[in-house]
Amino acid sequence: MRWVVLLLAFLLPALAQEAPPPDLSPEVFRIARELRCPVCQGESAAESNSGVAVEMRRIIAEMLREGKTEEEIKAFFVERYGDWILYAPPRRGVTLWVWVLPVLGLLLLGLGLFAYFRPKPLPKELLEEAERRLKEPPR
Amino acid sequence: MRGWLWLLLVLALGGLFWWGMQRNPKELPSVLAKERRPAPEFTLPLLPPYRAEWGETFRLADHLGKRPIVLNFWASWCYPACYEEAPILEASWRRHREEVLFVGVNTQDKEEEALKFIAQFGLTFPQVHDPRGRVGVDYGMYGVPETFFIDREGRVLARHAGAIDEAVLARYLEEALR
Repeated sequence: MRWVVLLLAFLLPALAQEAPPPDLSPEVFRIARELRCPVCQGESAAESNSGVAVEMRRIIAEMLREGKTEEEIKAFFVERYGDWILYAPPRRGVTLWVWVLPVLGLLLLGLGLFAYFRPKPLPKELLEEAERRLKEPPR
Repeated sequence: MRGWLWLLLVLALGGLFWWGMQRNPKELPSVLAKERRPAPEFTLPLLPPYRAEWGETFRLADHLGKRPIVLNFWASWCYPACYEEAPILEASWRRHREEVLFVGVNTQDKEEEALKFIAQFGLTFPQVHDPRGRVGVDYGMYGVPETFFIDREGRVLARHAGAIDEAVLARYLEEALR
C-alpha cells in the first residue's frame, strides 16, 4: 500500500505536466505542435502561452469542430503566414534541399570512408620480393 | 586539381555563411504584402468613444477601394513600442484625414485598459476592439505593434512590424497615395 502511494506521489506531478489543459483536445495540441508560434523564439503554438498562440489553438479547435482535416488547418495558417509557420519545411522547391542534403552528406562520407579504408592491392615489387624469399633455401 | 576543389568548397561554405550573416533575423515576411493580396475583410465592434461618429460596428469592406487605409494593430500592454508610435499616428491622421483612413485595431486587450490608452493619447481615428486577436491571424500578424498599408484598390501594399516613426510612415503614405 505504501508503495502505491509513493509511486502515485511521484507519478502524479509528471502526469499532470503531460496532460493538456482540459478545455482543448489533445488533437488540437498535436496540430499546434507542428506550427510555429509567431511571436516566440523556437516555441511551437502548442507550448506558448502568448496571446497569438492561444488564439491559434482556439482556431484549430474551431476548425476541427467544423470537420476540417489537419491538412486544411495547416493550409489555413500557411495561407496567412507562409511556409515559415510550419516546423517541418515542405518537401518541395528550395526547402527540399534541407531534406536531401543530410542524406547526400552521409552518402559522401560513406564513400570517402570506404575509399580510405579499402584494402589496397600490394605493390608488385613487394610481392615479387616475398616470392623470391620463399624460394630461397632456408639458412 | 584536388587542392582547387577544396578551396572551392571552403569558399562556397564561407560564402553561404557570409550571406546568412547578412540576413536580418528580425525581418519577417508578410505574405499579404509580398503578393499584394486584397486586404482580409473584418467586422468588429468599435470602442465606445467612436460609436457616435462611426456606428456600432466597423466593416472594413465598406471602406476598401475608396482611399488608402492605414491599419494599426496595438494593445495597451505593448510598452513602449505602442506608446511611442501612438502620437505619431495621431498627428499623421490629423494631417491626412481627408485622403487616408486610419483604423486602430486594439488586439488582445481589456476594454478599460484600451480606453485609458486612447484617452492618454487623445486618439481621434476609429478604434475597433478585437479581444481574441482573430483579425491579427488573418493578417499574418506576429505581434503588436504592426501597421499595414492598404492601397486605393484595397490591396495590402506594405507591412511595418514594430513601432513606426515619422519618416517611415511618411514614406509609406506617399507610396499609398501615389
